[in-house]
Amino acid sequence: MFKKDAHMAHATSGSETIIAQGVKVEGDFTSNGNVLIDGEVVGSVKAAQNLQIGQSARIHASVVAMTALVAGEILGDLEATERLELTSTSKIRGNITTAMLSVEPGAEINGTITMNNPEQGKRAGRRATSDEYVQEAG
Amino acid sequence: MYCYLYDDYIQENKRFEKELLKIENRLTDLGIAGKISRLALFRNAEEMIRDEIDRGVETVVVVGNDETVRKTINVLSDSSVVLGIIPIGPNNELARMLGIPEGVLACDVLSARHVDEIDMGTINGRKFVTGIRIPDFKAELMADDGKFRITATSKSSLEIRNLQEDSDPCDGMLHAVIQSQVKEKKLFGRLLNTQSILPFTSLAIRADKPFSLFADGLIMEGTRFDIGIEPKTLKIITGKERIFQA
Repeated sequence: MFKKDAHMAHATSGSETIIAQGVKVEGDFTSNGNVLIDGEVVGSVKAAQNLQIGQSARIHASVVAMTALVAGEILGDLEATERLELTSTSKIRGNITTAMLSVEPGAEINGTITMNNPEQGKRAGRRATSDEYVQEAG
Repeated sequence: MYCYLYDDYIQENKRFEKELLKIENRLTDLGIAGKISRLALFRNAEEMIRDEIDRGVETVVVVGNDETVRKTINVLSDSSVVLGIIPIGPNNELARMLGIPEGVLACDVLSARHVDEIDMGTINGRKFVTGIRIPDFKAELMADDGKFRITATSKSSLEIRNLQEDSDPCDGMLHAVIQSQVKEKKLFGRLLNTQSILPFTSLAIRADKPFSLFADGLIMEGTRFDIGIEPKTLKIITGKERIFQA
């Protein structure tokens, strides 16, 4: 009883959620802290703070976070209220809404991009592109 | 007022006689000696503790091991009574995590009386301190009142952690940790060990077929387990070497 397991090495820092490879989440997933996804999610994801989507992640969901760093694949709309970074391996098939966007060469975006001006408040910003904006950088 | 609860394995084993004598002398020197209650095969530990609480005991000190502690926590966490531990013999992992040294040295920790209020986990109404373990996890987790569910897509094990090396038993949260083995997505890919972590306050584990899990080392079997947390319900004496910072 109460034996410690030798291979339990990772630290659980506060309310950080990690969805690693080998795990699938279905439904409306909400977190008040930071979220790191390397696994599979179907439904919707809401992270009150930072969201990191790894290269092996497969997201079939609408995603909302304060800031997001995406290296994996998202099929669904993506909203990062403050900042969004898309790495060269990211693939987005859905509409993007954010206040600040960074896109690495190689990132694939199929959808509209709406830029919110952070100084004018959320969702009060200007539309940066036409309705059907397709970008394939790199 | 202190009450000392001796487990029966200590009384039956002569090799603990000298240590017990040293402990009793040290407790007297420190001025914290009290009534001694002895557990026995047909004596219910919870009833004994309830009787002592009714008589006005403020501190119950378990003289035994993790198993002895497990017999007391259901009653003690429902009261304002403080739990102390004097670990004797093997199987004293909980005392180690609480920073309590074995044998007579534990008396000084008791005397210093640093009390922490720690969270207790509940599983189907039963309480646990350290956590829950499912070595072969094939069930599903339902979280947030069923708003989302989590399944393992490869060979996995599940742990629910409260008081363990890397989790804080005073944060009002439990952590579900799923350890999985996945194959790298490339030709001749290696097996990778991954770890998912989900903080939560309530969770259900469900399966179509009955499965076994270990709550504080005690085996339980069923198809549905409801897990929750009761924040800061157990008052417990801890030492400086405890593994968490309260």
